[in-house]
Amino acid sequence: MSSPSLDMLRPSSTPRGASAPVPDDKIGEIVDAVIDAAPECVRNRILLPAIDWAMVPPHKVGLLLSSLDQAGIPLPRWLAKPLLLSGHTLSVAAGDALPGTLRVLARLNGAAGEPDERESLAASLEGLRYASDVDADIAVALVRRLLALSWDDEALRFALAHAASVPRVLRLVGDVFARHVASLPILRIRVSGTSTTRPLVDGLGTAFAVEGWQTEIAESGFGGALGDLLSPPYDVDALLVLLDAEGLLAADWRHAAPDVERLAAERADMLGQALRSYASRAAVPLLINTLPVPPAPTVGLLDRQHGMGLRRAIDALNARIVAAAEASGRIVVVDADQALSSLAARDQVDPKLCYYGRIGYSDRATQCLARAFAEAWQIVRRGPVKVVAVDFDNTLWGGIYGDDGVGGLACGEDFPGNAFQALQQECLRLKAQGLLLVALSKNEESALEVFEQHPGMVLKAHDFVAHAVNWQPKADNLKRIAADLNLGLDSILFLDDSPHEREAMRRLAPAVVVPEMPDDPAERPGWLRRLSATWPARLTAEDAARPAVYAARRAAQDLEARSASLGDYLSALEQRLAVSFVNERTLARVAQMHQRTNQFNLTTLRFGEPDISALAENPDRGVALVGHVTDRFGDHGLVIAATVEIDGTEAVIRTLLMSCRVIGREVERAFVGALLEHLAARGVERVRGMYAPTAKNTMVRDFYESCGFSAAGSEGPGTVWSFAVGETEPPRSDYVTTSWET
Amino acid sequence: MDTYASATDLIYPEISEIFADVFQHGGPLAKGTSPDDVPRWDSLQHIALIRALEATFSVRLSMDEMMEIRSVGDIERVLGRHGV
Repeated sequence: MSSPSLDMLRPSSTPRGASAPVPDDKIGEIVDAVIDAAPECVRNRILLPAIDWAMVPPHKVGLLLSSLDQAGIPLPRWLAKPLLLSGHTLSVAAGDALPGTLRVLARLNGAAGEPDERESLAASLEGLRYASDVDADIAVALVRRLLALSWDDEALRFALAHAASVPRVLRLVGDVFARHVASLPILRIRVSGTSTTRPLVDGLGTAFAVEGWQTEIAESGFGGALGDLLSPPYDVDALLVLLDAEGLLAADWRHAAPDVERLAAERADMLGQALRSYASRAAVPLLINTLPVPPAPTVGLLDRQHGMGLRRAIDALNARIVAAAEASGRIVVVDADQALSSLAARDQVDPKLCYYGRIGYSDRATQCLARAFAEAWQIVRRGPVKVVAVDFDNTLWGGIYGDDGVGGLACGEDFPGNAFQALQQECLRLKAQGLLLVALSKNEESALEVFEQHPGMVLKAHDFVAHAVNWQPKADNLKRIAADLNLGLDSILFLDDSPHEREAMRRLAPAVVVPEMPDDPAERPGWLRRLSATWPARLTAEDAARPAVYAARRAAQDLEARSASLGDYLSALEQRLAVSFVNERTLARVAQMHQRTNQFNLTTLRFGEPDISALAENPDRGVALVGHVTDRFGDHGLVIAATVEIDGTEAVIRTLLMSCRVIGREVERAFVGALLEHLAARGVERVRGMYAPTAKNTMVRDFYESCGFSAAGSEGPGTVWSFAVGETEPPRSDYVTTSWET
Repeated sequence: MDTYASATDLIYPEISEIFADVFQHGGPLAKGTSPDDVPRWDSLQHIALIRALEATFSVRLSMDEMMEIRSVGDIERVLGRHGV
């Protein structure tokens, strides 16, 4: 390239550090050497990552793969990814262990664009739409490859499914996307807010397009939210209001503190009234967000409880919004905390944007909110699925009925069966929310006996409105059941742990909703809750009219939240205390409690089994008692114990201790009451107890006093207490029903 | 001091894409390209530009930098300072 005359001007030797171009053949030699040493390089993760595979011809990549294969080294993901991103293909065996997206990319790289390839890849591509955490580079490569094959529909579907996590992919399918959007039904939205809404409007178009809507957006002026609520727009399909804390609740601290609080309350009132007014007058739905957790408190630790707290003001305001939505089906609330849960509170706001342009949320938060608004709209319009069709083996329980038998199946209170039981609970939750459950299993029909015979099953056979437990293809079974129930296939959700069954269902009954269920059973219960296809738009009067369903929902509500006082809460617990003498069955547990209990422990004497049984087995020397507590939520087991030495009419409580599990529920009062009554019945006239302070047991310093004991001096650092039987009433609790067990 | 031979040589080619996205500006960019040359580069779209720069280059720009950026050259200088 360079002329001789220029060459003469070059320095004779290249200075150290300056880059002299390395000839291509030299690089080729280096690459060859690295490929020769591939097994060693993979083991040490060296050199291979530095190679630009786009420059390496396919036959050399083939050499690399076969040398790894001969050395028995599986192709690691860190090497597979750059190979596939550079367009190389892999042998089927090498690709098998890779995650789904890379496996599909491997097949696409080898595809020539034939129709039969397209058909055979269709189900895999469909499955990818539900894949979560897709790597951005891989997503981009997949879309590029699909477009190169002119499989525009597939490229678009994939891009739409992953636009949320990888926004770049939509740009790649630009023209295809634009044509798609133009074909969607039009939704006219008016957008207003308490600050600048421009960034949100920028994100709404894409977010709604992903959900299947073409938007025409009209923006109100800055801070137009209240105005739009009070005089609702009539020429649109929906009003969307973006609330932000800065625009709605920014306090002016020049006011006196009571005024700051009053002003915040007035703003909440104003919004509440505006929402009620909207509900009574407007003709179109309102989409509105709650305010998220603030990035910075105004009263520190007390932010949620003090009148000047920003969090408290936000809580009050959110309560108004939710109350308005409960009263009116026209108001649809997007829970900002949930919509923004992938971002830390500090990342939800960008202060410089806030100061520069009165923008209430950071860029990422704005995108999350745009998506949440679009999803909420879609959920309201479409409603949830109506049926959940669910597989048995390794879905509702761990193991295979046909191989392991009823007794060998994992489902119950203990690991790992508890994860399967939790999924059954989620199925029951969906049933309680009005969905129908259908059993769909490839099994002998006798598999239904599992629900009745296995003790860990919370689902019962009668919870299913229909079942198909046979060896027919599941899609056929499901079509028949859908016809019987008079429901469309698109209102059915299919849950199955087997990727093959899911692919088969997508292929044979494409309308059925078939999400990719996580492989790990531990992930499934939470995943099912997040699956928006099951989210009810509104639990309607129709649901409420079903008394059984309604009752279940009420019972599930947090008891403490309904209780006005601690007393109400404790009485609702229906606690029962069964007191018994320590015997050989309970001795080990009581000794263990003596070793472990630190907080509710009056003397912290670490009595072992011999110490305790010495008292328990000699009624003339003493007594050892233990208490078993149950309440309406379950069994707490043996949680409280005491050992007492008796000498004629005198008794000394040597140890008294209780597990933390039941602290604060008056169990200890009931137990000591039972103990004192027992001692009285045996002729004891004076009972003494001691409090020996430790670093951890200050919580019981005043315990004896609260039980009616009087101070009787001190012993070292401890205090001695005395109870005069017959003169003082023994302690008792209105919230604990005590009984004796022998 | 500026040793780059050509003023149209962008250090960060992504900036062209950002200008196309944010301002629908397809024309050539130079270090001196400023709001005077890009009709849609107004104070409101300036925010969109900052957001796009932050997202594309994974940086967090400060309020001062937001004001400092008045040209493509400014963008490159600020990004360089962030070690992009």
